[in-house]
Amino acid sequence: MRAIGSSLPRGDAVGKVVGATPYSGDLSMPGMLHAVTLFARRPHARILALDLGEAGRVPGVVCILTAADVPHNRFGLNVPDQPVLCGPGDDEHASRVRFVGDKVAVVVAETVEAAERARALIRVEYEALPVVPNPVAARQTGAPVLHAAHPDNVLLHYRVRKGDTLAGFAQADVVVEGEYSVGGQEHAFLQPEAGLAWLDEEGRVAVACAGQWAHEEQEQIAHALRLPDERVRVIHPAIGGAFGGREDISVQIVLALAAQKTGRPVKMVWTREESIIGHHKRHPMTYRCRTGATRDGRLVAAEVELVSDCGAYASTSTKVLGNATIMAVGPYDIPHVSIDAYTVYTNNVPSGAFRGFGAPQSHFAAESQMNKLAAALGMDPVELRLKNALRDGSLQVTQAPMPAGVSMDHVIEQCAESIGWRRTAQGWQRPAAAQPDSPWLRRGIGFAAAFKNIGFSFGYREHCWATVEIHGGGDIDRVVVRCAGSDVGQGAHLAFQQIAAEALGIEAEKVEIVSADTATTPGSSGSASASRMTFMAGNAIRGAAEKALAMWRDEEDRPVIATYEFNPPATTPMDDMGRSTPNFTYGYVAEAVEAEIDTETGEVRVRRVVCADDVGRAVNPQQVTGQIEGAVVQAQGWATIENFVQRDGLVLTPHLSTYLIPTVRDIPDRVDSIIVEVPDPLGPFGARGMAEMPFIPFAPALTAALHDATGVWFDHLPLTPVRVLETLDEQA
Amino acid sequence: MAEQGVPVTLTVNGREVRTSVPPYLLLVDFLRDTLGLTGTKVGCETGQCGACTILVDGISAKSCAMLAAQADGHQVTTVEGMAQGSAMTPLQAAFWDKHAVQCGYCTPGLLASMTDLLQRNPDPNAAEIRRWMDGNICRCGVYQNVVRAVRQVAEQAPGGGGE
Repeated sequence: MRAIGSSLPRGDAVGKVVGATPYSGDLSMPGMLHAVTLFARRPHARILALDLGEAGRVPGVVCILTAADVPHNRFGLNVPDQPVLCGPGDDEHASRVRFVGDKVAVVVAETVEAAERARALIRVEYEALPVVPNPVAARQTGAPVLHAAHPDNVLLHYRVRKGDTLAGFAQADVVVEGEYSVGGQEHAFLQPEAGLAWLDEEGRVAVACAGQWAHEEQEQIAHALRLPDERVRVIHPAIGGAFGGREDISVQIVLALAAQKTGRPVKMVWTREESIIGHHKRHPMTYRCRTGATRDGRLVAAEVELVSDCGAYASTSTKVLGNATIMAVGPYDIPHVSIDAYTVYTNNVPSGAFRGFGAPQSHFAAESQMNKLAAALGMDPVELRLKNALRDGSLQVTQAPMPAGVSMDHVIEQCAESIGWRRTAQGWQRPAAAQPDSPWLRRGIGFAAAFKNIGFSFGYREHCWATVEIHGGGDIDRVVVRCAGSDVGQGAHLAFQQIAAEALGIEAEKVEIVSADTATTPGSSGSASASRMTFMAGNAIRGAAEKALAMWRDEEDRPVIATYEFNPPATTPMDDMGRSTPNFTYGYVAEAVEAEIDTETGEVRVRRVVCADDVGRAVNPQQVTGQIEGAVVQAQGWATIENFVQRDGLVLTPHLSTYLIPTVRDIPDRVDSIIVEVPDPLGPFGARGMAEMPFIPFAPALTAALHDATGVWFDHLPLTPVRVLETLDEQA
Repeated sequence: MAEQGVPVTLTVNGREVRTSVPPYLLLVDFLRDTLGLTGTKVGCETGQCGACTILVDGISAKSCAMLAAQADGHQVTTVEGMAQGSAMTPLQAAFWDKHAVQCGYCTPGLLASMTDLLQRNPDPNAAEIRRWMDGNICRCGVYQNVVRAVRQVAEQAPGGGGE
């Protein structure tokens, strides 16, 4: 009997298919109040005065929270640079709103209607300030300073110098230059932000919400309310998707404050429009790249300058920038590399975590460079990649060797063969796409590869706690696993169950998961992000299970309870040359895309995607396939139809009627998921993280397919029909 | 509020509901807030996402695009009313078995749309299933597993199986 490797169905899916599982917006309690948020809805302004008089007199209003009510009016996942509520007063930083989604007040009332009526009666006097619409404007002399600590509006600059690029380019026979830009992306998780806060039986402020990292949310709430962490409890009921979009605080702090002020349960549900203006986005980025190779296809030098739009607050921009930096030349071994990476404050909606976390942007640039280089060399793009792919021991751009278990070449070969690449005496050869009869429709096949870190990077003390309780007499009857890790929809809890069952040699049905509640779990599991949950929690659960099993054998007492903290090998931050050991392990992925372009309408249709993803060990193959198919659809959305438009700091696409995400009509005709299993030496039973990887190579593989179809390079995303037609015209 | 409302009589999940509703009340809010049937979800305000899809007289309908008053005299079925007692319907069981659920927020709406499809055509092919799904957005991207789940139901139905 093996628990790992079988496609068990999800326990939580039963409640979901019969409609019995509550999400945070479905919760209610006796005596519950309702809260609504007054958003600034202007990108840059100073708040001169706030008049609550009329609003406060609306029948049913219980209280109106403003900046003056927040004990410590700052929050932020990495840098606490964001006011919980903006308002007039001595706190200069909090007296300014810096994006449309800054919050000015929270109205708490007996009904939603009363709260909304009062919100409309709050008078705010603003002094409009000049708007910083993009990173170029932000870096101009005389640009308004958005954060006093960063007078040039540059939040962070990373500088990587490996080898000697001057000498490197001197060895190059071919040099390819390129400029690329990619747009932001809205997570559009189907469940908008919602939460319920109350004072629990132990007097703690409890917040039930949709998040990704219960213990971090607990810490940020406690920080803002000036409470010890243990006086705050965070619970995650079922979560309606996350994709990185729930890593930042949304409703949590203000709800906790409202429950504390009123002593009653308080609920808040954001509308879709509030969700879209209120939470961070994927970073828009621009790239300038030079890549040099010898005639026989050996990469010798690369230079990259990249700029990311951080938006109004730091969110996770510094971490995303780190990832974008170390992936800026793709998964290749290049001796001479120079990278300058900047993340710059603007008055746009903050940018932050989104599936891939900087990797999709950088791989779009890096892999587009590789495809152009292959064309310039007259070499097959798979052949070129295999000549240069990272291998065990290769030096990263940070000059640290790759961690053991690199499978990049293997994954590239698997993917290429599956879509019809042939090995010939002259090397690898691309298959020709069958062309349709209609001459305005052109088809092509493209290829790209990627790597992505698993777990937190650059010196973060990465860790995960788990407790395993074994109940029974002689035989194990029942096992309880306590691990805080959130199931945001990806099926993490089933993976926990299967890993515990495997470690204990029992059926998965005997394992119960207690999770996503800071009061009932032993400590932080870290975020459901960075493709880390199976890897980190899997190792913690395995460690606790093995410890418990030893106690079960050696001791008489029942039940036995063991707690374990998993710590992967330490990583280090980059120094001023970019030297570091950035990560302890990576995942590897390659994708081939067959696409069709309508040269008259500019529409792009994806006929087939082959994704080879090294997951180390597939804990639940059907869940792995689900992650691959879902990531491909999201990546296709980002690359083609998802067009998040901001003009002068205003969001022009604040609804699902204007921000289009893929429906079933947009998705590929076919997705072939190839599950590659090269065990990760550090992974639980060999498993690697995998949920972000299939997103990453899609966009450059698609543009390579479009080049194969038309001979035209598409260097700017998203590929809306208008942009496709314009690009075809320019290069015709 | 009730005394100023519109009187309605409707059947919800087999039970008669007689009440009066404010004329502006959306059916989805009536189901969720008045009747406590929170299985039906809200994902947008503009009719795109389909998370609020229910069955009205067996036909799929977006309950955010209907007033509660318009349900007067009709039979409404939400996800809570699909299963017979504790047993899942074959479609629900197939969603579970085929991993057609990730976060699950779109699931009640998809179940309603696919139930409607299977009533019209017990043996739909993949293209027909895809066409019927285009009013339901799934951000996790489980679309292909939904096709697999519906095909499983078709194949297991008496006389089903041909595509």
